[in-house]
Amino acid sequence: MNFRTRVLMGWAVMLAAVLICAFGVSSYTQARGDDTLAYAKSRDAALAAGKHHLARLNSLNGKDATSVDAGLRQWLDVSTGPLHDQLKRTRSKDANDLKKSGSTARGTVTDAALTALDERAGTAELIATVDVRVTSRTGAAGTERKRFEATLARTPDGWKVKALTAIPVGAA
Amino acid sequence: MVSTEEKTEAGVEEPKSPETAGDEPDEAGESGSTRRLRRTAVVLLVVALVVAGAGFFVRAQQVRDTPATDNLALSDTEATTRVVGDVSNALGKVFSYGPQDTAGTKESAKQLLGGKALRQYAALFGQVEKQSRDQKLTLTTHVVHAGVSRLSGTGAHLLVFLDQVYERRGKPATTAAAQLSVTAELRDGHWRIVDIASR
Repeated sequence: MNFRTRVLMGWAVMLAAVLICAFGVSSYTQARGDDTLAYAKSRDAALAAGKHHLARLNSLNGKDATSVDAGLRQWLDVSTGPLHDQLKRTRSKDANDLKKSGSTARGTVTDAALTALDERAGTAELIATVDVRVTSRTGAAGTERKRFEATLARTPDGWKVKALTAIPVGAA
Repeated sequence: MVSTEEKTEAGVEEPKSPETAGDEPDEAGESGSTRRLRRTAVVLLVVALVVAGAGFFVRAQQVRDTPATDNLALSDTEATTRVVGDVSNALGKVFSYGPQDTAGTKESAKQLLGGKALRQYAALFGQVEKQSRDQKLTLTTHVVHAGVSRLSGTGAHLLVFLDQVYERRGKPATTAAAQLSVTAELRDGHWRIVDIASR
Protein backbone atom coordinates (compact mmCIF):
# COMPACT_ATOMS: atom_id res chain seq x y z
CA MET A 1 0.00 0.00 0.00
CA ASN A 2 1.51 3.27 -1.00
CA PHE A 3 0.94 6.61 0.66
CA ARG A 4 -1.75 7.82 -1.73
CA THR A 5 -3.94 4.76 -1.15
CA ARG A 6 -3.50 5.14 2.56
CA VAL A 7 -4.57 8.78 2.45
CA LEU A 8 -7.58 7.88 0.33
CA MET A 9 -8.53 5.11 2.71
CA GLY A 10 -8.17 7.51 5.58
CA TRP A 11 -10.60 9.91 3.96
CA ALA A 12 -13.00 7.07 3.15
CA VAL A 13 -13.01 5.92 6.76
CA MET A 14 -13.54 9.53 7.92
CA LEU A 15 -16.42 9.97 5.46
CA ALA A 16 -18.01 6.74 6.66
CA ALA A 17 -17.71 7.91 10.26
CA VAL A 18 -19.29 11.27 9.41
CA LEU A 19 -22.14 9.48 7.63
CA ILE A 20 -22.73 7.16 10.59
CA CYS A 21 -22.86 10.15 12.92
CA ALA A 22 -25.17 12.09 10.62
CA PHE A 23 -27.48 9.08 10.32
CA GLY A 24 -27.65 8.74 14.10
CA VAL A 25 -28.39 12.42 14.60
CA SER A 26 -31.05 12.53 11.89
CA SER A 27 -32.70 9.38 13.27
CA TYR A 28 -32.76 10.97 16.71
CA THR A 29 -34.17 14.32 15.59
CA GLN A 30 -36.78 12.47 13.55
CA ALA A 31 -37.85 10.42 16.59
CA ARG A 32 -38.00 13.59 18.67
CA GLY A 33 -40.08 15.43 16.09
CA ASP A 34 -42.40 12.47 15.43
CA ASP A 35 -45.93 13.81 15.93
CA THR A 36 -47.55 10.38 16.06
CA LEU A 37 -45.13 9.31 18.74
CA ALA A 38 -45.72 12.48 20.77
CA TYR A 39 -49.47 11.98 20.38
CA ALA A 40 -49.29 8.34 21.50
CA LYS A 41 -47.24 9.30 24.54
CA SER A 42 -49.68 12.08 25.47
CA ARG A 43 -52.55 9.63 25.15
CA ASP A 44 -50.91 7.10 27.47
CA ALA A 45 -49.93 9.81 29.96
CA ALA A 46 -53.47 11.25 29.98
CA LEU A 47 -55.07 7.81 30.43
CA ALA A 48 -52.72 6.83 33.26
CA ALA A 49 -53.21 10.16 35.04
CA GLY A 50 -56.97 10.03 34.51
CA LYS A 51 -57.23 6.55 36.06
CA HIS A 52 -55.17 7.58 39.04
CA HIS A 53 -57.06 10.84 39.58
CA LEU A 54 -60.50 9.28 39.29
CA ALA A 55 -59.59 6.72 41.94
CA ARG A 56 -58.46 9.61 44.17
CA LEU A 57 -61.60 11.65 43.57
CA ASN A 58 -63.71 8.65 44.59
CA SER A 59 -61.74 7.96 47.74
CA LEU A 60 -61.87 9.59 51.14
CA ASN A 61 -60.89 8.42 54.56
CA GLY A 62 -63.52 9.84 56.92
CA LYS A 63 -61.85 8.52 60.07
CA ASP A 64 -61.07 11.95 61.57
CA ALA A 65 -60.59 15.63 60.74
CA THR A 66 -56.96 15.14 59.65
CA SER A 67 -57.72 12.33 57.23
CA VAL A 68 -60.68 14.26 55.78
CA ASP A 69 -58.47 17.32 55.29
CA ALA A 70 -55.78 15.21 53.63
CA GLY A 71 -58.37 13.66 51.33
CA LEU A 72 -59.80 17.02 50.33
CA ARG A 73 -56.30 18.34 49.66
CA GLN A 74 -55.75 15.40 47.31
CA TRP A 75 -58.98 16.23 45.51
CA LEU A 76 -57.65 19.73 44.92
CA ASP A 77 -54.27 18.33 43.84
CA VAL A 78 -55.67 16.19 41.06
CA SER A 79 -58.18 18.75 39.76
CA THR A 80 -57.86 21.91 37.74
CA GLY A 81 -60.10 24.58 36.20
CA PRO A 82 -63.85 24.47 36.98
CA LEU A 83 -63.72 21.29 39.06
CA HIS A 84 -60.85 22.67 41.13
CA ASP A 85 -62.72 25.94 41.70
CA GLN A 86 -65.87 24.12 42.70
CA LEU A 87 -64.05 21.84 45.14
CA LYS A 88 -62.32 24.86 46.62
CA ARG A 89 -65.60 26.72 47.09
CA THR A 90 -67.31 23.83 48.82
CA ARG A 91 -64.27 22.65 50.75
CA SER A 92 -65.29 23.74 54.26
CA LYS A 93 -68.83 22.50 53.77
CA ASP A 94 -67.54 19.20 52.31
CA ALA A 95 -65.16 18.80 55.23
CA ASN A 96 -67.96 19.29 57.75
CA ASP A 97 -70.31 16.90 55.97
CA LEU A 98 -67.65 14.24 55.58
CA LYS A 99 -66.49 14.52 59.17
CA LYS A 100 -70.08 14.22 60.34
CA SER A 101 -70.82 11.12 58.25
CA GLY A 102 -67.46 9.53 59.10
CA SER A 103 -67.73 6.99 56.31
CA THR A 104 -64.78 5.93 54.24
CA ALA A 105 -64.83 5.50 50.48
CA ARG A 106 -62.27 3.67 48.42
CA GLY A 107 -62.48 4.01 44.67
CA THR A 108 -60.94 1.55 42.23
CA VAL A 109 -60.98 2.22 38.50
CA THR A 110 -62.01 -1.06 36.87
CA ASP A 111 -61.60 0.12 33.28
CA ALA A 112 -60.98 3.37 31.45
CA ALA A 113 -60.47 4.66 27.93
CA LEU A 114 -59.97 7.98 26.22
CA THR A 115 -62.66 8.94 23.76
CA ALA A 116 -60.86 12.02 22.44
CA LEU A 117 -57.48 13.69 22.68
CA ASP A 118 -56.50 17.10 21.40
CA GLU A 119 -52.74 17.11 21.70
CA ARG A 120 -52.38 20.75 20.68
CA ALA A 121 -55.06 22.12 22.99
CA GLY A 122 -53.94 19.76 25.75
CA THR A 123 -57.39 18.37 26.50
CA ALA A 124 -58.75 14.84 26.61
CA GLU A 125 -62.08 13.12 27.21
CA LEU A 126 -62.07 10.01 29.35
CA ILE A 127 -64.68 7.44 30.28
CA ALA A 128 -64.17 5.15 33.23
CA THR A 129 -65.95 2.65 35.45
CA VAL A 130 -65.24 2.91 39.14
CA ASP A 131 -66.06 0.56 41.99
CA VAL A 132 -66.51 2.58 45.15
CA ARG A 133 -66.38 0.61 48.37
CA VAL A 134 -68.04 2.60 51.11
CA THR A 135 -67.59 1.66 54.74
CA SER A 136 -69.77 3.54 57.19
CA ARG A 137 -68.68 4.47 60.69
CA THR A 138 -70.62 1.52 62.04
CA GLY A 139 -68.67 -0.83 59.81
CA ALA A 140 -71.39 -1.63 57.28
CA ALA A 141 -69.82 -1.93 53.84
CA GLY A 142 -71.15 -1.84 50.31
CA THR A 143 -69.80 -1.44 46.82
CA GLU A 144 -71.23 0.99 44.32
CA ARG A 145 -70.56 0.75 40.62
CA LYS A 146 -70.27 4.09 38.92
CA ARG A 147 -69.58 5.28 35.41
CA PHE A 148 -67.95 8.60 34.72
CA GLU A 149 -67.07 10.91 31.93
CA ALA A 150 -64.17 13.23 32.69
CA THR A 151 -62.49 16.07 30.86
CA LEU A 152 -58.75 16.18 31.40
CA ALA A 153 -56.50 19.17 30.85
CA ARG A 154 -52.73 19.30 30.58
CA THR A 155 -51.14 21.49 33.22
CA PRO A 156 -47.47 22.16 34.05
CA ASP A 157 -47.87 19.39 36.68
CA GLY A 158 -49.25 16.87 34.21
CA TRP A 159 -52.79 15.92 33.26
CA LYS A 160 -55.53 16.87 35.71
CA VAL A 161 -59.29 16.53 35.89
CA LYS A 162 -61.14 19.63 34.69
CA ALA A 163 -64.68 18.27 34.78
CA LEU A 164 -66.23 15.11 36.15
CA THR A 165 -69.72 13.82 35.44
CA ALA A 166 -71.33 10.66 36.67
CA ILE A 167 -73.32 9.43 33.70
CA PRO A 168 -76.85 8.61 34.76
CA VAL A 169 -79.03 6.00 33.12
CA GLY A 170 -80.84 7.24 30.05
CA ALA A 171 -78.50 10.17 29.52
CA ALA A 172 -78.32 9.69 25.78
CA MET B 1 14.18 11.89 -35.22
CA VAL B 2 14.84 8.95 -33.02
CA SER B 3 17.03 10.92 -30.74
CA THR B 4 14.48 13.73 -30.37
CA GLU B 5 11.79 11.21 -29.59
CA GLU B 6 13.94 9.71 -26.92
CA LYS B 7 14.59 13.15 -25.57
CA THR B 8 10.93 14.08 -25.37
CA GLU B 9 10.14 10.82 -23.70
CA ALA B 10 12.82 11.45 -21.26
CA GLY B 11 11.59 15.01 -20.90
CA VAL B 12 8.08 13.85 -20.08
CA GLU B 13 9.22 11.28 -17.63
CA GLU B 14 11.65 13.49 -15.94
CA PRO B 15 9.27 15.85 -14.16
CA LYS B 16 7.33 12.81 -12.95
CA SER B 17 10.15 11.30 -11.07
CA PRO B 18 10.93 14.36 -8.98
CA GLU B 19 7.25 14.52 -8.00
CA THR B 20 7.14 10.95 -6.77
CA ALA B 21 10.51 11.33 -5.32
CA GLY B 22 9.36 14.52 -3.64
CA ASP B 23 6.40 12.74 -2.05
CA GLU B 24 8.47 10.11 -0.43
CA PRO B 25 10.80 12.42 1.43
CA ASP B 26 7.81 14.50 2.46
CA GLU B 27 6.22 11.47 4.06
CA ALA B 28 9.49 10.33 5.37
CA GLY B 29 10.13 13.80 6.72
CA GLU B 30 6.83 13.75 8.58
CA SER B 31 7.16 10.18 9.73
CA GLY B 32 8.23 11.28 13.16
CA SER B 33 5.99 12.29 16.06
CA THR B 34 3.91 14.72 13.90
CA ARG B 35 2.68 11.92 11.69
CA ARG B 36 1.89 9.67 14.59
CA LEU B 37 0.04 12.52 16.29
CA ARG B 38 -1.96 13.23 13.16
CA ARG B 39 -2.83 9.58 12.76
CA THR B 40 -3.97 9.33 16.40
CA ALA B 41 -6.09 12.45 16.00
CA VAL B 42 -7.76 10.99 12.92
CA VAL B 43 -8.41 7.66 14.62
CA LEU B 44 -9.86 9.43 17.69
CA LEU B 45 -12.07 11.61 15.53
CA VAL B 46 -13.36 8.59 13.61
CA VAL B 47 -14.06 6.70 16.83
CA ALA B 48 -15.77 9.75 18.34
CA LEU B 49 -17.99 10.19 15.29
CA VAL B 50 -18.98 6.52 15.20
CA VAL B 51 -19.66 6.40 18.94
CA ALA B 52 -21.73 9.60 18.79
CA GLY B 53 -23.67 8.34 15.78
CA ALA B 54 -24.37 5.00 17.44
CA GLY B 55 -25.34 6.76 20.66
CA PHE B 56 -27.87 8.99 18.90
CA PHE B 57 -29.23 6.02 16.99
CA VAL B 58 -29.69 3.93 20.15
CA ARG B 59 -31.38 6.88 21.91
CA ALA B 60 -33.66 7.35 18.91
CA GLN B 61 -34.68 3.69 19.10
CA GLN B 62 -35.37 4.07 22.82
CA VAL B 63 -37.55 7.11 22.18
CA ARG B 64 -39.39 5.31 19.41
CA ASP B 65 -39.61 1.85 20.84
CA THR B 66 -42.21 2.29 23.55
CA PRO B 67 -45.52 0.48 24.03
CA ALA B 68 -47.09 3.82 23.09
CA THR B 69 -46.30 3.41 19.41
CA ASP B 70 -47.66 -0.14 19.22
CA ASN B 71 -51.01 1.14 20.41
CA LEU B 72 -53.00 2.77 17.60
CA ALA B 73 -55.95 3.85 19.78
CA LEU B 74 -56.92 7.42 18.80
CA SER B 75 -53.61 7.97 16.96
CA ASP B 76 -55.07 6.05 14.01
CA THR B 77 -58.36 7.94 13.77
CA GLU B 78 -59.82 5.88 10.97
CA ALA B 79 -59.14 2.49 12.60
CA THR B 80 -60.40 3.80 15.96
CA THR B 81 -63.68 5.04 14.46
CA ARG B 82 -64.07 1.73 12.68
CA VAL B 83 -63.66 -0.50 15.71
CA VAL B 84 -65.94 1.72 17.81
CA GLY B 85 -68.56 1.57 15.05
CA ASP B 86 -68.33 -2.19 14.55
CA VAL B 87 -68.39 -3.01 18.27
CA SER B 88 -71.22 -0.54 19.07
CA ASN B 89 -73.24 -1.94 16.22
CA ALA B 90 -72.60 -5.53 17.34
CA LEU B 91 -73.53 -4.85 20.99
CA GLY B 92 -76.70 -3.05 19.91
CA LYS B 93 -77.69 -6.05 17.79
CA VAL B 94 -76.89 -8.93 20.15
CA PHE B 95 -78.41 -7.24 23.20
CA SER B 96 -81.63 -6.20 21.51
CA TYR B 97 -84.51 -8.61 20.99
CA GLY B 98 -88.25 -8.95 21.16
CA PRO B 99 -90.43 -11.96 21.91
CA GLN B 100 -90.85 -12.52 18.15
CA ASP B 101 -87.33 -12.11 16.86
CA THR B 102 -84.99 -13.93 19.26
CA ALA B 103 -83.98 -16.19 16.37
CA GLY B 104 -82.70 -13.22 14.38
CA THR B 105 -80.71 -11.98 17.35
CA LYS B 106 -79.21 -15.44 17.85
CA GLU B 107 -78.25 -15.58 14.19
CA SER B 108 -76.53 -12.19 14.21
CA ALA B 109 -74.71 -13.12 17.41
CA LYS B 110 -73.07 -16.02 15.57
CA GLN B 111 -71.70 -13.55 13.06
CA LEU B 112 -70.73 -10.75 15.43
CA LEU B 113 -69.34 -12.72 18.35
CA GLY B 114 -66.56 -15.24 18.52
CA GLY B 115 -64.47 -17.23 20.95
CA LYS B 116 -65.31 -16.96 24.62
CA ALA B 117 -67.93 -14.25 24.06
CA LEU B 118 -69.96 -16.51 21.79
CA ARG B 119 -69.84 -19.37 24.31
CA GLN B 120 -70.90 -17.04 27.14
CA TYR B 121 -73.67 -15.63 25.02
CA ALA B 122 -74.93 -19.04 23.90
CA ALA B 123 -75.07 -20.22 27.51
CA LEU B 124 -77.03 -17.12 28.47
CA PHE B 125 -79.35 -16.90 25.52
CA GLY B 126 -81.39 -19.98 26.35
CA GLN B 127 -82.76 -18.22 29.42
CA VAL B 128 -83.15 -14.96 27.55
CA GLU B 129 -85.23 -16.60 24.85
CA LYS B 130 -87.55 -18.21 27.37
CA GLN B 131 -87.86 -15.04 29.42
CA SER B 132 -88.58 -12.92 26.41
CA ARG B 133 -91.29 -15.30 25.24
CA ASP B 134 -92.91 -15.82 28.65
CA GLN B 135 -92.86 -12.21 29.79
CA LYS B 136 -93.34 -10.62 26.37
CA LEU B 137 -90.11 -8.78 27.05
CA THR B 138 -88.47 -6.50 24.56
CA LEU B 139 -84.94 -5.31 25.19
CA THR B 140 -83.37 -2.44 23.30
CA THR B 141 -79.71 -1.68 23.87
CA HIS B 142 -77.87 1.36 22.70
CA VAL B 143 -74.36 2.61 23.23
CA VAL B 144 -73.97 5.83 25.22
CA HIS B 145 -70.18 6.11 25.18
CA ALA B 146 -67.39 3.98 23.80
CA GLY B 147 -63.66 4.41 24.12
CA VAL B 148 -60.75 2.38 22.76
CA SER B 149 -57.90 1.83 25.20
CA ARG B 150 -55.81 -0.56 23.10
CA LEU B 151 -55.76 -1.05 19.36
CA SER B 152 -53.46 -3.01 17.09
CA GLY B 153 -53.81 -4.31 13.56
CA THR B 154 -55.64 -7.40 14.78
CA GLY B 155 -56.95 -6.76 18.30
CA ALA B 156 -58.67 -4.08 20.35
CA HIS B 157 -59.85 -3.41 23.87
CA LEU B 158 -62.79 -1.09 24.48
CA LEU B 159 -64.89 0.24 27.32
CA VAL B 160 -68.51 0.70 26.39
CA PHE B 161 -71.33 2.35 28.33
CA LEU B 162 -74.76 1.01 27.44
CA ASP B 163 -78.32 1.91 28.25
CA GLN B 164 -80.78 -0.97 28.11
CA VAL B 165 -84.50 -0.34 27.84
CA TYR B 166 -86.75 -3.18 29.05
CA GLU B 167 -90.35 -3.15 27.89
CA ARG B 168 -92.89 -5.62 29.15
CA ARG B 169 -96.30 -5.62 27.65
CA GLY B 170 -98.64 -3.44 29.73
CA LYS B 171 -95.91 -2.06 31.95
CA PRO B 172 -93.90 1.15 31.78
CA ALA B 173 -90.45 0.75 30.27
CA THR B 174 -87.45 0.67 32.59
CA THR B 175 -83.90 1.63 31.71
CA ALA B 176 -80.80 0.02 33.16
CA ALA B 177 -77.17 0.93 32.79
CA ALA B 178 -74.52 -1.54 31.72
CA GLN B 179 -70.79 -1.11 31.35
CA LEU B 180 -68.80 -3.62 29.37
CA SER B 181 -65.10 -4.17 28.80
CA VAL B 182 -64.89 -5.65 25.34
CA THR B 183 -62.07 -7.45 23.58
CA ALA B 184 -62.42 -7.57 19.82
CA GLU B 185 -60.50 -9.21 16.99
CA LEU B 186 -60.33 -8.21 13.37
CA ARG B 187 -61.34 -11.12 11.17
CA ASP B 188 -62.05 -10.86 7.45
CA GLY B 189 -62.23 -7.08 7.64
CA HIS B 190 -64.77 -7.05 10.48
CA TRP B 191 -64.34 -6.60 14.20
CA ARG B 192 -65.72 -9.55 16.13
CA ILE B 193 -66.25 -9.45 19.88
CA VAL B 194 -64.32 -12.30 21.50
CA ASP B 195 -64.63 -11.42 25.19
CA ILE B 196 -67.03 -9.41 27.31
CA ALA B 197 -66.63 -8.47 30.96
CA SER B 198 -69.25 -6.57 32.91
CA ARG B 199 -67.96 -3.59 34.90
